[in-house]
Amino acid sequence: MNTGNSDREGGKEGGKDVIVETISRVMVPFIQLFALYVIMHGSSGPGGGFQGGVIFGASFVLLVIAFGIVNAGDRFPEAVNTALFSTGVYIYAGVGLLCLISGILYFGVIEAQYLNYGYLPLPVHFEERRALGMDFIEIGVGITVMAVIAEIFFNLAWKKEEDEGEGEGEGIEKGEPE
Amino acid sequence: MKLISLSALLFVILLGALFIYVAEDIPDFGDPYSAPNRYIKLFSMDAAELEDNLNQGVIPKSLADKIADRGLPLPTRVKSVKEGEWDFFLVPEEKQQAFFPKEQKYYFIKKEGDELEVYRYALIIRWIEEGEEETEVPNMVTYGLADYRGYDTLGETTVIFTAGVSVLLLLRRRGKRPEARKL
Repeated sequence: MNTGNSDREGGKEGGKDVIVETISRVMVPFIQLFALYVIMHGSSGPGGGFQGGVIFGASFVLLVIAFGIVNAGDRFPEAVNTALFSTGVYIYAGVGLLCLISGILYFGVIEAQYLNYGYLPLPVHFEERRALGMDFIEIGVGITVMAVIAEIFFNLAWKKEEDEGEGEGEGIEKGEPE
Repeated sequence: MKLISLSALLFVILLGALFIYVAEDIPDFGDPYSAPNRYIKLFSMDAAELEDNLNQGVIPKSLADKIADRGLPLPTRVKSVKEGEWDFFLVPEEKQQAFFPKEQKYYFIKKEGDELEVYRYALIIRWIEEGEEETEVPNMVTYGLADYRGYDTLGETTVIFTAGVSVLLLLRRRGKRPEARKL
């Protein structure tokens, strides 16, 4: 029991299991590629922003499980993460706003609609624009979901480790003061 | 104590029976002819003489009046689907024509015995039949989620965003951390 625990909390000194580390290092890029495929494939098959975002977030969760929160957390800094999860919503709302603005410019005030992708300023016909607009918002949704999943997991995992660290000694505290 | 246990057991059994009944009673999944998937019944009226009019492509006045009585939009064209079944089309109102320029399939008439049954098509019929043409996306779920219900999905994304912000505000523990090992 105890040995299992000490393996898992490898965050401070690094994970110790070579097999788990190697396999997850190899698998993570493929998981992320699959997530991108699911997001972009949302319009022609099963998938979409929510599902793809969760898969992308799961790849960071795998990194944390394999390498420990301290090391893997560095791969995905908090500042970037915080910026990302508002970026997704901004992309979504921005596409809607773009539809409204270009609708007013090219089709008149009465016809313009928020989130009517048909009015996007793209050089294709109305229906095709709707399909492309859907792809854009799926990307936005995917970014938000990915960042939020990673953020929630990182914060919860970090708390547990920190509490354990306080009990054991000053392993964490020592490193910090400077 | 025993009484409570017994009555609880009875309650659980009754509830289980109810759930089994409900599960048996709902229509088969994906059945395209179940009522909510297909059409909603409005009223029925005598078929006498109306059938010939319908077959010639004329909308009988009595039928149109009865539709107007219910405050529903009036059909403009009738088309025979097969023997004893007709579709009614209507042209959308002027302010909606920018978005729905075509005629909309709206009512469905079926002859049963001597009666004409008048139905209104469920929304899902339009969704299935015209979605791909309108959006050029073959996936019914996606054009529903991202286009027809775009506001809804924007709200969902905002909910997830709010969850992230709440975690950041309440449970944030990633601020300072010791040196990381190189991966």
